[in-house]
Amino acid sequence: MIAMNNHAEVIIIGGGVIGCATAYNLAKKGVKSIVLEKYEIGYGGSSRNGGGVRQSARDPRELPLAMYGVEHLWPQLSEELGVDVEYCQKGNLRLAKTEAHLKILETLVESSRSSGLDVGMIGGDEARKICPYMSDEVIGASWCPTDGHANPMLTTLAFYKKARELGVRFITGENVREIRKLKGQARQVITDETIYEGDIILLAAGYESRAIANTVGIDIPVQRILLEALVTEVQPRMFDQMLGTAAADFYGHQAKHGSFVFGGSTGLEPYISEQYAPVTSSLTASSTCRGIIKYFPVLKDAKIVRTWAGWIDECADHVAVIDRVEEVPGLVLACGFSGHGFGISPTVGLLLSELVMNTAPTLDLSALRYNRFKAKA
Amino acid sequence: MSKVVDRSRDLGPFIPHNDDELIICRCEEITKGEIRKAVRDGMYNLTEIKRYLRTGMGLCQGQTCSRFVRSIVAKELGLSPVELDLTSARSPARPIEMQTYSNEVW
Amino acid sequence: MKRYELIVIGAGPAGLSAAIEAASWGMKVIVFDENALPGGQLFKQIHKFFGSKKHHAKIRGFRIGETLLKEAEESGVEVRLKATVMGIFANKEITVMNGDHIEHFKGDNIIVATGASENMITFPGWTMPGVIGAGAAQTLMNLHGIKPGNKVLMVGSGNVGLVVSFQLQQAGCKVVAIIDASPKIGGYGVHAAKVARTGIPFYLSHTIVRTAGEDCVSGAIIAEVDSHWQVIEGTQKELEVDTICLAVGLSPMSQLARLTGCDMFDAVEKGGLVPRCNEYGETSIPGLFCAGDVAGIEEASSAMIQGRISGLAVAKRSGYILANEFLMRFVSFQESLSQLRGGMFGIEKKGCVVTQTDEGLPLSRTLLQKGYIAEAEIELFSGSKKCKAKGVHPVIECTQNIPCNPCQDACRQGCIIVGDQITSLPIVTDTEKCSGCGMCIISCPGQAIFLVDDDYTEDSSAISFPYEFLPLPKAGDMGMALDRSGQEICPAEIVKVRTGKGMDETAIVTMKVPSEFANKSRFCAIYTES
Repeated sequence: MIAMNNHAEVIIIGGGVIGCATAYNLAKKGVKSIVLEKYEIGYGGSSRNGGGVRQSARDPRELPLAMYGVEHLWPQLSEELGVDVEYCQKGNLRLAKTEAHLKILETLVESSRSSGLDVGMIGGDEARKICPYMSDEVIGASWCPTDGHANPMLTTLAFYKKARELGVRFITGENVREIRKLKGQARQVITDETIYEGDIILLAAGYESRAIANTVGIDIPVQRILLEALVTEVQPRMFDQMLGTAAADFYGHQAKHGSFVFGGSTGLEPYISEQYAPVTSSLTASSTCRGIIKYFPVLKDAKIVRTWAGWIDECADHVAVIDRVEEVPGLVLACGFSGHGFGISPTVGLLLSELVMNTAPTLDLSALRYNRFKAKA
Repeated sequence: MSKVVDRSRDLGPFIPHNDDELIICRCEEITKGEIRKAVRDGMYNLTEIKRYLRTGMGLCQGQTCSRFVRSIVAKELGLSPVELDLTSARSPARPIEMQTYSNEVW
Repeated sequence: MKRYELIVIGAGPAGLSAAIEAASWGMKVIVFDENALPGGQLFKQIHKFFGSKKHHAKIRGFRIGETLLKEAEESGVEVRLKATVMGIFANKEITVMNGDHIEHFKGDNIIVATGASENMITFPGWTMPGVIGAGAAQTLMNLHGIKPGNKVLMVGSGNVGLVVSFQLQQAGCKVVAIIDASPKIGGYGVHAAKVARTGIPFYLSHTIVRTAGEDCVSGAIIAEVDSHWQVIEGTQKELEVDTICLAVGLSPMSQLARLTGCDMFDAVEKGGLVPRCNEYGETSIPGLFCAGDVAGIEEASSAMIQGRISGLAVAKRSGYILANEFLMRFVSFQESLSQLRGGMFGIEKKGCVVTQTDEGLPLSRTLLQKGYIAEAEIELFSGSKKCKAKGVHPVIECTQNIPCNPCQDACRQGCIIVGDQITSLPIVTDTEKCSGCGMCIISCPGQAIFLVDDDYTEDSSAISFPYEFLPLPKAGDMGMALDRSGQEICPAEIVKVRTGKGMDETAIVTMKVPSEFANKSRFCAIYTES
């Protein structure tokens, strides 16, 4: 017997930004869900990202989701959810220091423009006009004025808070062991403590999704990788843009309260994910600081108050799987966001609610289907 | 011990206290009332409180206030403070300038 | 990468002791400390420590620090100062901030000995200038020679609150009151008594309600609390102070230990979140140890032994010491530690209500409530019993079982007996042998020993007591004798002031008082010219 209150139309596995945003969208439409979270709200990639709300340099398969969000959802999100999610739409600069960097950016710009995004290449001086603190090392950049950033932790908690107010049941500390099929349909979610049952099971558990999907014979080429970031003490307001580099080795922005948040990588990340717990390495923060100082010498005296590390889910082709799995009726997948799920999370929440309810989709998701992974010919 | 927490548990309405204006996190100037309200907003553990309000995110990284925040949140939830895990410890142990951090010696 | 057999984080009593022990077995050891001076909190401890000889009893904390530094140097320990450990990473790697750079080191073993930080309490105005930690006040006075304020309220009557109150008075500040929310004084009775007789009042079952003042503290409003710690309306009173010192406990500084991911647990009796350690201080991560306050709040004397034990265990782990050698030394350290942990303030008694001494004597209630022993109570204790009719004899007002016995060693005549159990109350015996040398007065870290000569003259008695204030009085000075509560009770004449190198800054002042005040007079206020 499944306890009455362990039953809902939708069981969502994962209390990250995707799970919370979907629960919120479903609740708005009157669909009841239960969200199961192993740790705390926003534990995984939801709190481990640079906060970019960015359309530029997106894979063409997810660019429409990013553009839809920026146009229709982000601008009023704070008001809608009743929490200031610190959305700041002041553009994104992706920086180049070498000719090779410029080549990479040109290709990205070309691709985005062909999908209708307002993005272009600018020279170093023009970039310095937008962001005067940048060093002369920057010889050019891509510039997308409609990009921006927001606070990923607050956004996740805001979706959670609003969904909770609308009656969504959130259970934290629930470790999901298995999804079980009943009469041909994915219906039950078995946890360490109890069993939940729903008409639809949405799996949005980040890097833990793969093992859970495996329990119903589904495999998604997702692995966990380590992400590290650092945070400075509060600095005078310097710039509002979201920043990235052509080499994608560092990214960041100045948050609303004045701290800078920068993420960086050493290239060793895929090889240090075998550890027991996600912890910072002895190398990354120093390496990230060197990168930042090269681009922004003015920040050399800013103090780092904390660094953090965490795993995120990385999909084989770096784009999420968002799909109603034909093989297992009742199972919906939303995972493998590869570190850029936050910016599209409001859109994904909307689309997933449509997918779950089997209503007409606002955007076509066929490029993100589960069955896209095939060996190269 | 089960860590399962039902976030829909009814905590009752927010009742203002006369010391709600008291500053608890002095680095980020966060008051007791803000923390108590955050619990009512569903922030049931110290990590969520920290992310929601910025308690312990300032220069001292919670050295002083984490005990206070923990006891306030515990009281709101009817728990003993030790039942709430503290937020993760983070390197660096002290604030450090980027210039210094970038200058590695082996 | 630079590699050491042992990295010690923190050059306080625990860390230095650990390093010395490991190095003495031949290990290559480096110690890092973020401060400019080593010694942790030892160098601001200007009071004499408790314990027995092997615990450095009756030695002032800063002198113990000096000895430790010398030993560290002799044993070849490398001490790096102004070197802040930023993190502990995989494979026992650490990064250290040193001047303008970050340096990487690796250790086969790491001992975390990062000590503790002071707790605060919140009340309206607690963030105002003028509210400081008692430890911070001590640092200002004793390391930097700066008076933290002029009129001070001490919040907390534990040993830290009591010791720092005394030191504030020594520095020339006026401690207006010591308050504590608890209905009884938390620290050693002897510490309470030495501040009480300087006239500092205790307000127990009292809390601070708020500060007074716009931009900085100009007063403190205190009030009585009921048994549920709630303020009793109508009991508020304002104290005119410019400084509020908080001595409300310490928390282990376990952040670095936590970074390693070792098992932690939260324990009230340890002061907060601490690593789960075995009897050698080893955490759940092999080769990672914790020693001293970071593993649970105690005091410097036990921290030094804990450090020794961890250092010894590291030496064994690294093949520098044989099992039986290790065991003998370990057992002796453990005995030493359990001696310090014994008595009514010991770690096992934390949270217990103690009403009588190990000897079965009732604890002085006035001592717990007012900070001094009532005259009627003191007579129950064998330390103050008089065995002969004539002449000088010691009166020991030490009435709680604390781990301390230097008085026994100090008396060459054998008039003072503590026994094997160092927490036993001292017994005064064979007082006819007392030569009046005063060594017992000097040796008592609690300043609880007096020499009383009831037959100084026909109608006057001479009371000798320890004196650690400046300026020192001189023979012939006049003043008022103070009783145990600091009340002026009768005129007194200073008849003798003894100082000397062997007395380690404690003077013995002898005053003449009318005989009927002999059992009451315990301190003196000297008249000054002005």
